[in-house]
Amino acid sequence: MRRTDPRWLIVSLANFLLWWLTGLLNHHIAGLAVHVYLGGLLVAYGALRLDPRSGFTATVLTALFVDSLEPVPFGTSLFLFTLIHGVVLYGRHRFPREGTVFALVVALLANLFLVIALSFLLVGAGPRPSSAWLRIFADLFVSQLAIVCVGPWFIALQDRTMELAKIHPETGRPVAR
Amino acid sequence: MFPKRLDHARPFVTLSVILLAWIFLPLGAKVFTRASFFEIQAPLVVADSFVRDLQDFWSNKTRSKEELLKAGREVAGLVAQYEYATQQNAQLQAEILRLENMLNLPPMPAFRLEPARVARRDFSAWWQRLIIRKGENYNLTVGAPVVFAGGVVGRITEVHRYTAVVDLVTSPTLRLAATVEGDTRPVSYQGGLNSSFSAPRGTVDFVPLDIAATASAPKRLVTSGMGVFPPGLTIGEITSLELSPDGLFRNGEVRLDRRLGTLTEVTVLIPLNPDE
Repeated sequence: MRRTDPRWLIVSLANFLLWWLTGLLNHHIAGLAVHVYLGGLLVAYGALRLDPRSGFTATVLTALFVDSLEPVPFGTSLFLFTLIHGVVLYGRHRFPREGTVFALVVALLANLFLVIALSFLLVGAGPRPSSAWLRIFADLFVSQLAIVCVGPWFIALQDRTMELAKIHPETGRPVAR
Repeated sequence: MFPKRLDHARPFVTLSVILLAWIFLPLGAKVFTRASFFEIQAPLVVADSFVRDLQDFWSNKTRSKEELLKAGREVAGLVAQYEYATQQNAQLQAEILRLENMLNLPPMPAFRLEPARVARRDFSAWWQRLIIRKGENYNLTVGAPVVFAGGVVGRITEVHRYTAVVDLVTSPTLRLAATVEGDTRPVSYQGGLNSSFSAPRGTVDFVPLDIAATASAPKRLVTSGMGVFPPGLTIGEITSLELSPDGLFRNGEVRLDRRLGTLTEVTVLIPLNPDE
């Protein structure tokens, strides 16, 4: 009997959990005028560890979830996330992609790209873009710090869930615990 | 199968296929997908606000009887004040109606007040939004004004089945026609100056040259009545004004209410006659 492949679902649900927790955090720190964005972390695991098909499925689903909650043209995150996914997938065989530190570096770089790309798209709407950039860099600093703190846990969470499901993230073959 | 040389380009081919499919997807399908994905997450977004309410409820249950009695006395005082204000309001409404009839003026827009709990605050440099726990189920409409005790909160931009999204007055995407208190000439307000760890601010443009305001002597900025907001609602305080580059008007900054960052309850004004 053919075994169902839950890898894309595991990564999508983990991403959804992280996005929900980030939303909760942002809700509570709204009064401080600080915002945390962890988009880069949502792409890193799927792009580095999963096979291309499961990875793309997880990234597309995650991007659609993110897009539905943000006031950006629907498809903006889909484009940015899949672009990052494609770039990481293209070069991942050259790097030690199994390591958490490398995944963290990828997440940080991806987040930097996402924040800057979104800012270029959206900051023009404001009355004074120059002062908005100061806030964006402050938020980016806090977001990168949050990735450094949360990233190892989040990557380990996905690794352990794959272990519990007795499935190898890349090959999809059953593995003994 | 791809030739080995092109095998590494496969991610970009997949990306191109996804993007092309997305571009050619009909608009209706995109709208449906967006609404579906939003509604899938909505219960979770709302659930955590219900959990917070439950936490508040249980933490209030631990308060002593003395504290409750004291709070009850304070509430009784407030109720007395509001009852008096309600009577005055009724008299003023009757006076407005009398004047409208006498002068053959069109009636003021009437609203139904719909209080709603805030489920989620999302304040970034790109947007400033709230998700509230009422939507189509309470007949909320897109564009309806949202207010709180301190004045304007914002405007509803999306209405879903059980939730609605409010674009805040602090958001760079929100523009309003306003007036300086005591003046009838309209000025333009826009949100969007939200520095980290400080109170939100907005900007005001097209202020007449004879109006002056400083941080020590600010001027109250209120809604003009043009657009969806009823007149006289507080937006903020103009704290600085300087000559615009063309020299015809003044531009300045508006200090907004700090409480906008910690709102838990708002009131939606739903027009009774949306066609007016």
